[in-house]
Amino acid sequence: MSILGGGIFKGMAVTLRNFLGSYTNKKERLPTIDYSWRADGALPQGIGDYPKEKGEQLSDTTTVTEYSRNFPMLLHDGGEPMDTVRCVACQICERECPPQCIYIEKDYDENGKYIKRPAVFDIDVSVCMSCQICVEVCPFDAIVMNSQFELSTPDRFGGLLMRRDDLLKSNDYYHKIHPEEAAARDAKIAAEKAAKEAKKKAAAEKARAAAEKKATEAAKEDAK
Amino acid sequence: MSTAAAPNYELIQQDGLETNLLEVSMGPHHPSTHGVFRMDVKLDGETVVDLRPVFGYLHRNHEKLAENMSYLSSMPFTDRLDYFNSMTNNWAYALAAEKLIEVEVPERAEYLRVIMAELTRLVNHVTLIGFFINDLGALGTPLLYAFREREKILDLFEQASGARMMCNYFRFGGLRNDVPEGWLKRAGEVVDRFPYFLDEYEQLLCENEIILSRTQGVGNLPRELAISAGVTGPMLRASGVAYDLRKVDQYGIYDRFKFRVPYTEGDTGDCYDRFMIRVLEMRESIGILKQALAGISEGEIMGNAPRVFKPKPAESYGRIEGPKGELGFYLIADGTPKPYRYRVRPPSLINLTVLRDMCLGGKIADAVIILGSIDIVLGEVDR
Amino acid sequence: MSFELLIDILIATVPLMLIFATVFAFTTWLERKALARIQNRIGPNKVGIPCTRIGLFGLGQPTADGIKMIFKENIVPTGADRLFHLLAPILALIPSMLVLCFLPLDFPWLNENSVKAFLLDGAVIFFFAITGLNTLAVFMAGWASRNKYSLLGGMRAVAQMISYEIPLVLSAVIVVMMVGSLDAAEIAGEQKGGNWFVFYPWGFAAFVIFFIAALAETNRSPFDLPEAESEIIAGYFTEYSGFKFALFFLAEYIAMFAISGLAVTLFLGGGDGPGLAVLPWLSVIWFLAKIFALIAVMIWLRGTLPRLRVDQLMGFAWKFMLPLSILNIFVAGFAWHAKQLDSQFIMVITWVISLAVLYGAASGLNQLNRGKVRPREYKYAE
Repeated sequence: MSILGGGIFKGMAVTLRNFLGSYTNKKERLPTIDYSWRADGALPQGIGDYPKEKGEQLSDTTTVTEYSRNFPMLLHDGGEPMDTVRCVACQICERECPPQCIYIEKDYDENGKYIKRPAVFDIDVSVCMSCQICVEVCPFDAIVMNSQFELSTPDRFGGLLMRRDDLLKSNDYYHKIHPEEAAARDAKIAAEKAAKEAKKKAAAEKARAAAEKKATEAAKEDAK
Repeated sequence: MSTAAAPNYELIQQDGLETNLLEVSMGPHHPSTHGVFRMDVKLDGETVVDLRPVFGYLHRNHEKLAENMSYLSSMPFTDRLDYFNSMTNNWAYALAAEKLIEVEVPERAEYLRVIMAELTRLVNHVTLIGFFINDLGALGTPLLYAFREREKILDLFEQASGARMMCNYFRFGGLRNDVPEGWLKRAGEVVDRFPYFLDEYEQLLCENEIILSRTQGVGNLPRELAISAGVTGPMLRASGVAYDLRKVDQYGIYDRFKFRVPYTEGDTGDCYDRFMIRVLEMRESIGILKQALAGISEGEIMGNAPRVFKPKPAESYGRIEGPKGELGFYLIADGTPKPYRYRVRPPSLINLTVLRDMCLGGKIADAVIILGSIDIVLGEVDR
Repeated sequence: MSFELLIDILIATVPLMLIFATVFAFTTWLERKALARIQNRIGPNKVGIPCTRIGLFGLGQPTADGIKMIFKENIVPTGADRLFHLLAPILALIPSMLVLCFLPLDFPWLNENSVKAFLLDGAVIFFFAITGLNTLAVFMAGWASRNKYSLLGGMRAVAQMISYEIPLVLSAVIVVMMVGSLDAAEIAGEQKGGNWFVFYPWGFAAFVIFFIAALAETNRSPFDLPEAESEIIAGYFTEYSGFKFALFFLAEYIAMFAISGLAVTLFLGGGDGPGLAVLPWLSVIWFLAKIFALIAVMIWLRGTLPRLRVDQLMGFAWKFMLPLSILNIFVAGFAWHAKQLDSQFIMVITWVISLAVLYGAASGLNQLNRGKVRPREYKYAE
């Protein structure tokens, strides 16, 4: 026979242990206060007290984890952003975006000729759900996820609509916030480029070979 | 549908005293209706005489939305069905779509899928028990312990997928990305630590006289009613049917793992059974996790599947044993990039249909804990 | 009434009011902090000295809460009974403040001739009579709010408070029997020198019953049904906001102090404790320390236990507590007679027998009430 109220006393022992443990074993009992156990110090210490002062911002490169995703950004390869922007305004992401928060307009020069870059590229912060589908469907690796999360603003309309120039970020910045992912992506681009070039080269080689063959055949014909 | 014996209720009319039933609309703003759920309750004193569940406050047109976008695009929306278990929702949908396009999933991805699904089961059950005891009136202590442990698992999810709750991690033919370096080790640490927490949790709850007397004999769900109402998951097993899709379908690679399915012997099927079955299931999940973490090998994580595709006209139904029950996705493809029909079989909604039968004749406090023991998430009920 | 008498009365009562109001503020902080630690949170830690970042462990929280409460809008629901809606919190506060005066606190500034509130002959009776008024206030709040949840809470409160008053009084009767007086000071005086009633089997049983009933009487967990958050929102004070809510809050805590003070007086030796011979004023400190110990247990229980159902609550009062406390009166009566024989051997026998009888009765009643409720075994399918 169990003692009277034994279950209650057992429960009280557990709560007492937790009460004392919250002072002695913070790592186990207060995991949201003591961050040291998290991903090898990837999180800046003391974020639990965020923000410390009014107006204080975390640095631009604050990354919570390698794959943290908050809001898309457009990549350019350095220099004048609009000259090296990777986006060609193909509008695949606009079509595939689940909450339909992307709006793109193509850019045309004076003659009405399509130049491969977006004239308008808007993303609505209030609609975007950070799902990263746009990143996955982009064939040009032009759009990736930013981990910057301080996007709140008192301006309901303009502030929550990110324009093209707000979204443009350099590839170096991408390397800073997501080093592994960026390296993998660059490697993939390089491989694709190499493959393309190899293909081109092969095609050129083939063409040259064909031409040579033709030439030799023609020469043979001529010789006959 | 009402097959359970509703108590034969007649108001005692005394001379010169007009009595009436007290009609209370519990919800949609109520601390313990788990979201925007409403119960129109008729009370005689404290006794529930009639109960009418009202839902639909969180309807977001999930199925119609999915019929108007490509297969891939509705993957993030499945996260929002049962927002506690985004990983398992992803898996069920991925299974359905993978049947349409017939793509092989690499082994490492299968292992990671099992790991993610079982971690999700831990998250779901541990928070459910917390909420359930909270409904019993325990001021959130077990709930906050549950959230403490959930925090550690959610961190694993965040490191792997980039988000804590809306993971959006599964893709047709695999997973979106491989887990970062050292993740498996960290997952192993969390899994190794979990049984200690479960011991403590059981010590706190499972023998407590108040919890025993509050839950035993309350909200009885007979075996026949559970089967005929289509109830699945831990609720069905608590009613005495050992039915688990992980054993029945052996989807993924569940045939490789050794685990047992706890169920109630006899036909008590009350709130205490539903609570204990979940506790025991967590122990089995830990066993699966340990096997999976030991058996996982290096390799590809993505099969050869296109991002956007046009499947041949066909039908498919993918179902998994979600933490709440059988979660199924039914797709009809018509040759376009969008599904012709997209249908979700939500375990929460179907388990909820027996609410009235279980609540009648109980006290109002019982109705609250019965709702808690069903384990609903309104995102899935209303869709 | 002479001027000196008035001064005397003020000296006797004003410190009480001041001390307990301060202690109330401190207790809310303590409760939040302790509950937070039990739940593995850190609790209030920001509010300290205004305009600085000095947190002082959140000790400024009660003040901040008080200021907030005063300035919040007073909302009265349409169709509510405005007069009784206003009267209820006031009526809840008055009796709990009043009974504080009957706690035998020997303040050092009180001399032999000054008025001591607790010198009333029938202090214990008066205490129960006054605390009974609380029920009325709670039901008034529930009824006047014109809210179904409030009404349910109010009705629960009435049923609960009336049921638990009986074991509460019956266990106090044991002490009254032993001392032969209803005077709080005399009861406290009887227990001087470590001769506390809680150290006797019957006294211990009575103390446990008293404490459980006190939990129910002050609506503390696990008997917080009148304000059951998960079932009826906030029970009788669902429709109260701002200062009226603060008054209810204050009344609840003051009632906690009052009933713990009574428990300390009856069972835990009042102001008795070591060091009194050297520093007589320590008795006040001891008294308050014992009150805080009881309140700490209340907080601990609140952090651990879920609440009972309404029928189980009633069953517990009438089927467990009431028979046990009646049996306890008999045990105490026999023990008192055995004590008159003045024999060591008989005393030991009495102790053993009374312990056995009380424990046997308690577990028997427990088994009877429990029925089939016990942990179960489960099967596994491979």
